[in-house]
Amino acid sequence: MRTLLLRRVGHAALVVAGVVCLTFLLARRLPGDEAVTATGARATKEQLAAARERLGLDDALPVQLWHYLTGLLHGDLGTSLHTRQPVLDDLRRALPASLELVGAAMVLAVLVGLPLGVLGARFARRGTDLAVRTGSMLLVSVPVFWLALALQLLLATKLGWFPVAGEYDRSLDSSSPLTVFTNVTALDALVTGNWTVLGSTLHHLVLPAVVVAAYPIGVVAQMTRAALIEESQQDHVRMERALGFRPLEILLRFSLRPAIGPVLTLLALVFAYTLVNSVLVEAIFNWPGMGTYTADAIRSVDTPAIAGVTLVVALVYVVGNLAVDLAQILIDPRARQR
Amino acid sequence: MKRTPLLTLTGLLVAVLALAGCGSTRAPGGGGGSGAGDTFTYAFHLNVVTEWDPAVSYSNESIAMANIYESLTRYDATTKKVLPVLATKWDKSADGKTWTFTLRDGVTFHSGRKLDSTAVKEAIERTKKLAAGAAYIWDPVASIATPSPTSVVFTLKYPVALDLVASSGYGAYIYDTTAAGSGDLAAWFKTPHDAGTGPYTVASWQAGAETELKLSAYDDYWGGWEKDQYKNVAFRVTPEITTAWQLLQRGDVSFVDRLTPQLFAQAAKTDGLATSESTSFQNLVALYNTASGPLADVRVRRAVQLLTDTDAVVSALHGAVAPADSLIPAGLLGEGPVGVKPDAAEAKKLLAEAGYGSGHPLRLRLTYAQGDKDQSIYVTLLGSALKQAGVKLDARPMQWDAQWSQAKSPNAKQRQDVFVMYWYPDYADPYSWFVNLFKSAKEPYFNLSYLDDPAVDATIDKLPMLTATSPDQAAADYRSVQQRIIVEDAAVTPLYVLNDQRAYRSDFTGYADNPAYPNVVFVHDLHVK
Repeated sequence: MRTLLLRRVGHAALVVAGVVCLTFLLARRLPGDEAVTATGARATKEQLAAARERLGLDDALPVQLWHYLTGLLHGDLGTSLHTRQPVLDDLRRALPASLELVGAAMVLAVLVGLPLGVLGARFARRGTDLAVRTGSMLLVSVPVFWLALALQLLLATKLGWFPVAGEYDRSLDSSSPLTVFTNVTALDALVTGNWTVLGSTLHHLVLPAVVVAAYPIGVVAQMTRAALIEESQQDHVRMERALGFRPLEILLRFSLRPAIGPVLTLLALVFAYTLVNSVLVEAIFNWPGMGTYTADAIRSVDTPAIAGVTLVVALVYVVGNLAVDLAQILIDPRARQR
Repeated sequence: MKRTPLLTLTGLLVAVLALAGCGSTRAPGGGGGSGAGDTFTYAFHLNVVTEWDPAVSYSNESIAMANIYESLTRYDATTKKVLPVLATKWDKSADGKTWTFTLRDGVTFHSGRKLDSTAVKEAIERTKKLAAGAAYIWDPVASIATPSPTSVVFTLKYPVALDLVASSGYGAYIYDTTAAGSGDLAAWFKTPHDAGTGPYTVASWQAGAETELKLSAYDDYWGGWEKDQYKNVAFRVTPEITTAWQLLQRGDVSFVDRLTPQLFAQAAKTDGLATSESTSFQNLVALYNTASGPLADVRVRRAVQLLTDTDAVVSALHGAVAPADSLIPAGLLGEGPVGVKPDAAEAKKLLAEAGYGSGHPLRLRLTYAQGDKDQSIYVTLLGSALKQAGVKLDARPMQWDAQWSQAKSPNAKQRQDVFVMYWYPDYADPYSWFVNLFKSAKEPYFNLSYLDDPAVDATIDKLPMLTATSPDQAAADYRSVQQRIIVEDAAVTPLYVLNDQRAYRSDFTGYADNPAYPNVVFVHDLHVK
């Protein structure tokens, strides 16, 4: 067990180190001049020269990489050329907002996608199953920006049920100021018992979370259905039927546990994918997360910020996969033997 | 018991939705929230603040800084006059090299310090010393004297219109250099703090947040306060135009700095909304390589000019831009039509004279800004017109730093034939276009037509002095130098001027777009109906 864990952690560290080096080198090879990005389009020659010196752009590439790596070890991801703030500070602000949004979406994906998959498997090749498959296919294939705009227009602007955009009603800052601990607004509001801000945050969270959740719900439903149908072909299911268990009970008590492994693996991948893919949703709903930050970084060729975001996404992938591996080991004893 | 986790999660979801229901729900078009009451809410499409130091600030934050800080003067683009702000009057010597500004009485900084001539001198000298952002605007200043607390005398190295310089939206703010006490002022600004004299002061700032910045009224503002003025200002970062539009419709925001032409037209017809449209000081120019490649031949440059149908470009952009009569946008000294009308037949004749035809096809390389849809429409239309004349256009969209680096390449063969870029002045003076884009330089910087015309250089050198001493003569010279650059040298085609299309709630009055201060709303000027 310990060897298995050490091996996984070692692989993860190698992946992260590779991503860091590759991202840095690619960023330095992009056409253009980082000093121009740092100083603005109308910089004077003197300002450009000063920026090149400050950013160490005149150093040899290996020296620049060395400075970057040693900086990373000290928690210094450089300074964003766009926001002019330390990248780590920017990510500390943006990542929690994204995790809040994507986390809410993943909760929805499990709460809605899993039961839908069970329903499809229970009534396989019947009307309900067809509805589940069609619905999940629609959720997977609908363009996220279209869904975001449609829901925003209908449920926010036309019906007024939800706010158009934002993280919470900032006019509450004066009447119910929020004490920030984690930068995850809902969590901070919950921990400090700020129910007004919590209500406002959840109210603002519904539409973007539903939009972000569309793809994971569809994927989880389809995967759960397929895994359960495959499991239902196993010998133990025949025995459980012979012992008189009802079909739904067999699915939930005996088939779901062994079938959940691939779904968990998929969830980890979908989580990281969704984190990157929420750029448009965050822009449409003014959600102040990584998506907006990344889009700004790419637009302004902000290489330290791009490298920082890449590092974080790589870490999320790696940590997510590690977590799933561990969860599988805990849930399914067979995984310990692999 | 096996189903307990699922039941718990379902219970949590129900609780969450119930709590979410506690949030206020408003009908469409309803007021309230951050866009109502005594708060003016500005939906801006980019992050607002990247720099808090007024000496260094040179970016988006001007929309907030202009409400926190003030300069000695302000330019009115409608009347083309310089208006008093912190200075109530100013005089210049006959040679335009000595300027005396008389300061307004009763002005205090947000730190509590009284505005006097020493404070003005210290602020401008610090800005000059830091030499960042738009500090170069003070380069003509040789020395600043303070003969009395209300009088500031500038002695210049060469004559310039210092009242225009002092009205700049960047680098001209007057601030309290002692606001941080014995501490480091630059570090103090970053926390953030402000040290202006303007009607508003920083209430809160959260980088990366949706409502990034809040300002609150400075009670001791010299301009005073009336009951119908906004006491708070909020800036909401709203990158998506459709989202900004919906926030405006619902009354969640008071002002949107840009819409698509279609939404702008819709806003004009929507109850509860008002619109404003005016030409900006920002224009798009196509600079032709006069030094190397096929365009070194003036006949080929003229042919490209004649094949450029700017009216078609303007029409294709549906109101987002206005025609550019000349290099100088309306509202600035020296404006007036100087241009070349399209003439495909004449263009083909010129190309044939230059030796280009079916046996010797012409190929041109053009670079323009990546992601700029307006520019790509111009490029498409130009490519089509050139193709009909037998010219192949190799157009390449690029990020600015890459486009600029290539244009400055020491190897002339690597440079482009046509360089497309926006230009705008840092203060309300057209000199910026000419000294930067068309004055000859050994190494190209912004002179990316690589023009080297001694007659043009001589005229450009005289312009600052004439603007300071004889504005009418300066205007005439601006027109003549444009005739030379555009028509005779065929070094450039002014393509269009960007239109500023603003939409806002109609529950306030007093808004007037001023292209000298792009995207700025002077909130203290507004009055709630």
